[in-house]
Amino acid sequence: MNAEVQRELRLEAVAKRAHSDQRMDFFFRSLTASAAWFVLITLVGAMLVMFDGGREALVEQGTKFVTTDYWDPANLIFHGLAPIVGTLLTSLIALLIAVPISFGIAVFLTEVAPAWLRTPVATAIELLAGIPSIIYGMWGLFVLVPWLGEYVYPWLIDELGTWPVIGPWFQGIPIGIGLLTAGFVLAVMVIPFISSIMREVFLTVPGRLKESAYALGSTRWEVVWDIVLPYTRGAVIGGVFLGLGRALGETMAVTFVIGNANRLGTLLEPGSSISATIANEFAEAFADEHRSALLGLGFLLFVVSFIVLSIAKLMLKGMSRWEGKR
Amino acid sequence: MTEPVIPKTEKVVAAAGAKLSARNLSFYYQQARAIDNVSFDVAERKITALIGPSGCGKSTLLRIFNRIYSVYPGQRAEGEVMLDGENILAPGYSLNRLRSKVGMVFQKPVPFPMSIFDNISYGIGHYEKLGRAEMTDRVEQALRQAALWDEVKDKLKHSALGLSGGQQQRLCIARAVALKPEVILFDEPTSALDPIATGKIEQLFAELKQQFTILIVTHNMQQAARCSDYTAFMYLGELVEFGETETIFTKPTKQQTEDYITGRFG
Repeated sequence: MNAEVQRELRLEAVAKRAHSDQRMDFFFRSLTASAAWFVLITLVGAMLVMFDGGREALVEQGTKFVTTDYWDPANLIFHGLAPIVGTLLTSLIALLIAVPISFGIAVFLTEVAPAWLRTPVATAIELLAGIPSIIYGMWGLFVLVPWLGEYVYPWLIDELGTWPVIGPWFQGIPIGIGLLTAGFVLAVMVIPFISSIMREVFLTVPGRLKESAYALGSTRWEVVWDIVLPYTRGAVIGGVFLGLGRALGETMAVTFVIGNANRLGTLLEPGSSISATIANEFAEAFADEHRSALLGLGFLLFVVSFIVLSIAKLMLKGMSRWEGKR
Repeated sequence: MTEPVIPKTEKVVAAAGAKLSARNLSFYYQQARAIDNVSFDVAERKITALIGPSGCGKSTLLRIFNRIYSVYPGQRAEGEVMLDGENILAPGYSLNRLRSKVGMVFQKPVPFPMSIFDNISYGIGHYEKLGRAEMTDRVEQALRQAALWDEVKDKLKHSALGLSGGQQQRLCIARAVALKPEVILFDEPTSALDPIATGKIEQLFAELKQQFTILIVTHNMQQAARCSDYTAFMYLGELVEFGETETIFTKPTKQQTEDYITGRFG
């Protein structure tokens, strides 16, 4: 009899516990899920608000907004080709410079440097990634701009300026401010990103794969170029895109050195980028047309960055799966 | 050809002549000594097996013979390794020349992330500039030698990563053979394979020794007994006993050797 009562009490306790477990589980799941949804909703919300704000420029102007170079706040005419081209060109220049240098850094740190040097230098490079962009901007304006304007650009104008095809890009007055300078500063800023990703993925190459190549008489360069790079190709491209994503959206450093002239010019003349234009003009954009054009530009930048970063993430993540399938 | 060195332990019959001789060979990882004063001869066109418990230094010893250890800073070898009478450890001996003469096959199959054809032609390209037709012949020849041709001849352009483990390992053997080396080093070549794949590779050894001098590290004593002509037993970085395989496995002279091959330790 006594045993039976005890058994029933126990069953009751278990049932109670099961019920409260269920409730706690539900509560916990909702809490974490809402934290995750919060980010997604913010993202989509930001995108929608920007699109809505920029509707006037994007929808009413249509393709003219992105194909015409004319930006005249005084007469309320806003066509965005110049900042769009500026953003793409400065990022492209940055990658052209940063990718080979980052590759060199990563190869040196994984294959060439003595063991005691590898970790300290790698850490130092990663620390560079944490320097605020305004510091890079000030360095660019006070150090790089005078030096480039004094020594490098006059030479570029004299030498490259006379070349066919690319010559016209390198003409103008060498004041040191312009798209090319912005590209240089961006290159310095994205090198830490790209090189540390490359270094990390190079480290994932199995030692025995490299040893096999060495055993066939490959040199270090051949091992890197023929074995390490193909093995990590997806992730390396992902790293480059991550750098590109950063370069596309960089505002402060670019605003300092790009010159902020909203028209298409040569690489050595002042130009503008999307983010620099927004930063410079938003406070004074009283006219609806003006504000709408700036938000429309922001929306375009948002979409482009989103696509670039998605590609980067996919390539970084898919590396092993992709390698296994081929 | 140099006079074969007789290790302190016992008389070695090297009827075919010594292709490769280790003399007073020691090896260091930083300060730690992994191989201690080892001397023995590897007979030409025979199979010599290195056996011993884990950590005895047999793989380390193998890795000296093509100086693959020199990829890593802090590893160094002392003593001499004579290949056809020349010391391969001498600073003047070119790594490139050494690796064209001494090929290596590793424990796990490691195809390069490229096509089957390119896996084979890659190494050849380091030494010879061949036309397309000649290269195709060389690749076919190497794949035939590794008994892989019939299985892959229709998919030479496919990725080597799609092959099975045993096929991948034979591809690695073909890759080594393609350079027409004189010596091939095998570092536990079947330890990652199933018994059928292992059997195929063991059959291959008998073919390959017609042409190549073979040095093989193995954990598997039956494999050493089945395949090799000579066996070296190593323990704690020293060469305990070296001789004809039959002698080592039937009447070893050292107690340690007997204990190991009868499974009392290791």
